[in-house]
Amino acid sequence: MLEFATMISADKHTAFLRAQFDDSPLGYFLVNNHAIIEYLNPRAATIIGFGAVEEGIKASLQDIDSIMNCGLMEAFGSILGGRVYLKRELSCSNRQGHFAILNIFCSPFRGEGGEIIGVFGIIQDVTESSKKKAELEEAIFELSIMSQVSEVLSSTADLDEVLKVLMTGVTANQGLGFNRAFLFLADNDEEYLEGKIAVGPGSPEEAGQIWSRLSREQRSLKELLDDYSERENQSNYSLSSLISGWKISLEENSFFSEAINNGYGINAHLEDFLSGESLEILKRLNTWNLAVAPIISKGKKLGIIAADNQITGKKISSSDVNLLQTFANHTAVAIERSRLYDNLVEHATELEEINRQLAESQEQIIRVEKMSVIGELTSSIAHELRNPLTVIGGFANLMLSAGGNEANSEYLNIILSETKRAENVLHHVLDFSRASRTKTQEIDFNHLVVRVTNVLAAKTKHRHTPPLLKLSEQKLAIWGNPDQLEHALLQFMLAATEELTDDCRIEFGTKLINSTVRSTIGFIAGHETRDKVIKVLKQIFGSPTGTQKLSIIVAGETLRYHGGNYGIESSSDDLPKIFIELPQYKGGYDEQASSG
Amino acid sequence: MSKLLVVDDEDHIRKLYKDFFSREGYNVITVATGEEALAAADNEGLDLIVLDIELEEESGLNVMKQLKERHPELPIVLNTAYSTYKSDFHTWIADAYVMKSSDLQPLKNKIKELVFT
Repeated sequence: MLEFATMISADKHTAFLRAQFDDSPLGYFLVNNHAIIEYLNPRAATIIGFGAVEEGIKASLQDIDSIMNCGLMEAFGSILGGRVYLKRELSCSNRQGHFAILNIFCSPFRGEGGEIIGVFGIIQDVTESSKKKAELEEAIFELSIMSQVSEVLSSTADLDEVLKVLMTGVTANQGLGFNRAFLFLADNDEEYLEGKIAVGPGSPEEAGQIWSRLSREQRSLKELLDDYSERENQSNYSLSSLISGWKISLEENSFFSEAINNGYGINAHLEDFLSGESLEILKRLNTWNLAVAPIISKGKKLGIIAADNQITGKKISSSDVNLLQTFANHTAVAIERSRLYDNLVEHATELEEINRQLAESQEQIIRVEKMSVIGELTSSIAHELRNPLTVIGGFANLMLSAGGNEANSEYLNIILSETKRAENVLHHVLDFSRASRTKTQEIDFNHLVVRVTNVLAAKTKHRHTPPLLKLSEQKLAIWGNPDQLEHALLQFMLAATEELTDDCRIEFGTKLINSTVRSTIGFIAGHETRDKVIKVLKQIFGSPTGTQKLSIIVAGETLRYHGGNYGIESSSDDLPKIFIELPQYKGGYDEQASSG
Repeated sequence: MSKLLVVDDEDHIRKLYKDFFSREGYNVITVATGEEALAAADNEGLDLIVLDIELEEESGLNVMKQLKERHPELPIVLNTAYSTYKSDFHTWIADAYVMKSSDLQPLKNKIKELVFT
């Protein structure tokens, strides 16, 4: 009786349910308390995998659950006891073997008297929306990584830091999570790749230690990236040495050259590449599966980032490669920016150097102008003095030739000798002032020295053997007034030779020391001639009483006006040398602008 | 007796040259300006002129130019304290260029050479 009554009641309800739910986009089903399906709408039939609604009617819930494994039979008893059952995003396969993600809600179904006569269920296929949700979450995760990496990368323009951030981002669990990463950079001509750095643990044991420590610390990716040195350990050095200096030709056929030449990422498997350079790469990196992403910016091939899961053995998926590629693209911009920054710094440094040279040359122009004014001044003073000297000396000569007493003759001779001396001084000063009118220009210092020694040889040939020359083989360029400098050098050489005889030969040397052209006047003689040399040095550098030859004072000023100097170079086992220094000319002065 | 004209704005130079060259046997006339020099050249029948370049009122080079226009065959010795004029082509029409010096021997030699050749 009871069963019959239930059947009548079920029939009544089935008709009602059909009317209400047959057209619903959700699946509805009714199971009697014997776990036999009494009703299901077309959508529920499709979700469960029945060909038609009729096929599902009278089917056993147990049969269905054994295929779909959705836990309904387990919950059936409790539902009949008055409880509800809810499962969200349950992954299962339907009767047709199709994968599906389902939301299932079941509740007791009561008869007219309120008694539970079965289970009423709603079933919803959320496979598509779940997939989309998963994709969305993945995209958010990627964006989060990229955002954090971008934030750190934007804070540095140093190429090494950019590369370390890249490697940390690829291998950190909070990042792309690869076990190991290898970076190869392309040369400027894009002919080959060269191993640069590698990051990752050396063994599973070490990996366990590092990863468990990092896991305990629970640091965010950004914290890790900010402190990329955290991931620098001994293994990184040994891994880096594995690829350091390794050059891979981009002409040769390999998945590296394929990736960088075609601009796409590659998931390289050992079974795909059994020969040639590709096999060699996998062997050398001791891996069977490698994700490869080219780093290319504005068509310029910058390098390759390769990563694997050698420790965990996790297979690399195509989405891993895609993510690595996105990462590589992002890094390419940072590398390019860093290189541009380096160029900028280089150009700024060059500009600073040019500005410094400009300031120096302006200073030199001012010096030369001053020199020129001084030259004019000394010239007019010298000429003004020459007339009285001519008169004094001339009359002294006349008086001497007229004859007289011996005492007067002695005095007149003194007047004549001192007049001659004064005239010689004027001669030097006039030489200097004449030199002041010459244009400044680039001067080959060695040529200048040769010219001066030739003049010296002509002036002193009856007294001395010519100086010995030890000139630098390098071109020694200086900037200045050639006549002034020739005059200055000649004064030093004349002063040096004046007191010496042939038993003390002079050696003139030149060399370049740290952007300074240095010449030395050395004395080749025994220690017995030391007194003579000291006398020479006194003439050049002044005696203790402070007197110094006027010609040397003028020559010294000429050197200083040219940014140079002179002094004594002492030697413990040799005679002291006179050194003369002038700044090396590296180009850049405007000849016209600096003409005196 | 050869007649020399010394043109110099400095009194003591004129006095020195007059005394020195008179003793050397020359008839020496001295003047201080270019105008006086031109007048002397026109009227005195000179054998040689010793001419300073830096005269007080005008350039000795202008005076030389006028003298050479009027008396092209009259030898002129430029005598100056300035060596720089040697490279000035205006001085090249002079017959000699001798720097002023307390040693008058070079000037004496040059005058002798020009007067007696």
